[in-house]
Amino acid sequence: MKILVIEDEQGLRENITSYLNVDGNICESCNALTPALQKLSDYDYDCVLLDIGLPDGEGFGVLEYLSTQQKSEAVLIISARNSLDDKLKGLNIGADDYLTKPFHLAELKARLMAVYRRKALNTNSKLVFNEISIDIQGRTVEVNKNTIILTRKEYEMLLYFIANKGKVISKNAIAEHLWGDEMDMYDSFDFIYTHIKNLRRKILDAGGRDYLTSIYGLGYKFTD
Amino acid sequence: MRLSEHYTRTSFYITLAVLVIGAVIYYFAINYIGTQQLDRALQQQLTEAEEYIRSNNGNPQQYDLDRDHAVFVKTYRQLLQKRFFDTIYLNPAEQRREAGRAVEDLVKLKNSNYKVTITVSRVGQKNLIELISIITLALLAGLLTVLFITNKYLLNGLWKPFQLTLKEIKQFNIADVDQFTGKPSKVDEFIELNEAIREMSLRVTQDYLSLKQFTENASHEMMTPLAVVTTKLDTLIQDETLTAAQLTQIADIYSSVNKSSRLNHSLLLLAKLENKLIVEEESIELDVILERKMLQFQELMQNKNLTVRYKLHPKQISASKYLIDILLNNLFGNAIRHNVPGGEIFIGLDPDKLSIKNTGVANALNGQQIFERFHKSKDSQGAGLGLTLVKNICQHYGYGIQYQYDAGKHTFVITF
Repeated sequence: MKILVIEDEQGLRENITSYLNVDGNICESCNALTPALQKLSDYDYDCVLLDIGLPDGEGFGVLEYLSTQQKSEAVLIISARNSLDDKLKGLNIGADDYLTKPFHLAELKARLMAVYRRKALNTNSKLVFNEISIDIQGRTVEVNKNTIILTRKEYEMLLYFIANKGKVISKNAIAEHLWGDEMDMYDSFDFIYTHIKNLRRKILDAGGRDYLTSIYGLGYKFTD
Repeated sequence: MRLSEHYTRTSFYITLAVLVIGAVIYYFAINYIGTQQLDRALQQQLTEAEEYIRSNNGNPQQYDLDRDHAVFVKTYRQLLQKRFFDTIYLNPAEQRREAGRAVEDLVKLKNSNYKVTITVSRVGQKNLIELISIITLALLAGLLTVLFITNKYLLNGLWKPFQLTLKEIKQFNIADVDQFTGKPSKVDEFIELNEAIREMSLRVTQDYLSLKQFTENASHEMMTPLAVVTTKLDTLIQDETLTAAQLTQIADIYSSVNKSSRLNHSLLLLAKLENKLIVEEESIELDVILERKMLQFQELMQNKNLTVRYKLHPKQISASKYLIDILLNNLFGNAIRHNVPGGEIFIGLDPDKLSIKNTGVANALNGQQIFERFHKSKDSQGAGLGLTLVKNICQHYGYGIQYQYDAGKHTFVITF
C-alpha cells in the first residue's frame, strides 16, 4: 500500500510515517499543501492522510484537486478541529473518513485499512490472516474453515488487532476504539480483558493459534 | 416609585409651600396697603371736619359727612393721642353692623374739648381681599393641576427614550450578533447615555469575542501537541526492552493525556454551545436512542450489578444527535458511576419530560453547585464538566433541568 502523509507537525509526521512503514507499505510525507499537490500529480497513492490546518492553506484543497483530477486515492482527514462542519465538508468533497486529534496510531492504522479496503479492494474479497478469514461484507469470521460466532465488540477487536498486527496497542487505544471517545476510559478497562479473553478462547476453540500477548499493565499485542 | 412621581411629588409640595407662604404675605401686604389708604382718607376727613367746625363754629354734633360716620363727644380730657383703629360700627346707610376703620382725635371748640371719632366702612377693602384670595386660590389649584398634568404626560414622554434604552439593555445578549443601537433622541443626556452604552457594549462584545476566540484557539492548539504525545507514546511502547515499571509509568501518562484531551473537547464544546455555534438539528426518536444507550452501557451496569427499569413513551425531538448523545452519555455515566453496587436505575420518558433516577449516596447533592464548571465530588475522576455540559445542552434547546433527591435516590429531570 502506498500512503502519502500530509501533516505540518514534524513529530506527528515522523511517528505516523514510521508506524505505517511496515508490511511492505510505502509511506511518504510532506509538510504543506503545495508539495502535497506536486507529489499527488507526480505519483499515484492508495491512501492519503490529510491534515486540514496546513501552513499554506486548508487541506480541503487536496480533496478538490483529487476530485478535479478524478484520482481515486482514499483520503483520511486528521484534524485538530472537532467540528462537525469540517467533518461534513470533508466527507462531502471526497474524504473517506475523519479522525480528530489526538488519536492513537493504532486507531489511525485501523481506519486507514478500513477506508483502503472499502475503496481499493473488491468488497467481496476476504481479509485473510493465516488461518483466520474474515468476510468484511457479511461480518463473519472463519478459523480453519470453521465459522466462529463473535460479538460485535469481539469482531471489531479482531479487525483492529489484525490491522495493527505486530504492534503493542495500549488499553486506552482499544477502549477508545470500542466505546468511542465519549465514554470515560477508566470505566472500560476491566471489560477489555473480558472481551480479549473471550476472543482468544473462541479462536483457540476453533483450532486457531494464540496470537494475543498481554503487555504488562499497558495493553496487548497481536503477533504472527 | 418612578422618577416622574418623585418629581411630581416634590414639585407639588414646593409649589404648595411657596403659594401658601406667598398668599399669607400677599394678604398682609394688601391689608397693610388698604389700611394705609383708609387711614389717609380718614386723616383728610378729620382735617376737613376740624376746618368745617372752626369755620362754622357750629355745633359739632350736627356735623355729619355724607356717608362717613362722625361722632363728637364732649370730654374733659386735655390730651388725647390721635389714633387709628379697626372697629365695628352701625352703618346708618346700610342699617347694619359692619367692619370699619376709625380715627379718634381731640378737637378744641370754644374752650371745650370734643373727642371726634370718624369711622369709614372697610367692606370695600374686605371684598377686595376676598376677591384677591379667591383668585389666588384658583391660581393655586390651576397651577397644581397644570403641574400634575405636565409631569404626568410631558415628563413621561420626555423619559420615553430612556425607557426604550432600558428595554434594549435588558434584552442585550453578549453572544448575539445584534449590537446595541439605541433609539434616536433629541435630549442631549439620552444621546450621551446611548452613546456611552453603545461604546460599552461594543467593548464588552469585543472582549467576549476575543475571549471566545482565545478559548477556541487555545483548545485547538492544545490538540496537536496532545496528538504528538499520544503518537510518541504509541511508538515508545513498541520497544520490547521496556520494563514493567516503565510500562506502568507510560500507562499513567496515557491516562493523563487522555484526561486532558477529554477536558479540551469538553471546553471546546462548552464554548461552542455558549456561542450557539452548533446549529444542525435533526428529528430524533428519543425512546429509540435511550434503548440504544442502555445497550451501550449494559456492560458497565452489569459490572455493578445494577437493575434497570424503564418506561419509555415514544417521543420525538428536534436536536443535534451529537449533543443528545453527549447529554445522555453524561447522565447515564453519572447514574452508573455514582450508583451503589446492586443498586437501581429508573428511566422514565414522558411526552413532556425525561427522568433518570438512580440509587446512590444517602445525601442530597447541592442542586446549585453540581451544574457549575469544575465542580465535582471528591471521588470523581472526571473533570467536573459533565453536568455543566448537560445544563448547557438543555439551555441550548430551551429544556429545563432539575435535580431532585428523595431518600437515597437522585433524580435528574429534563422537561421539554
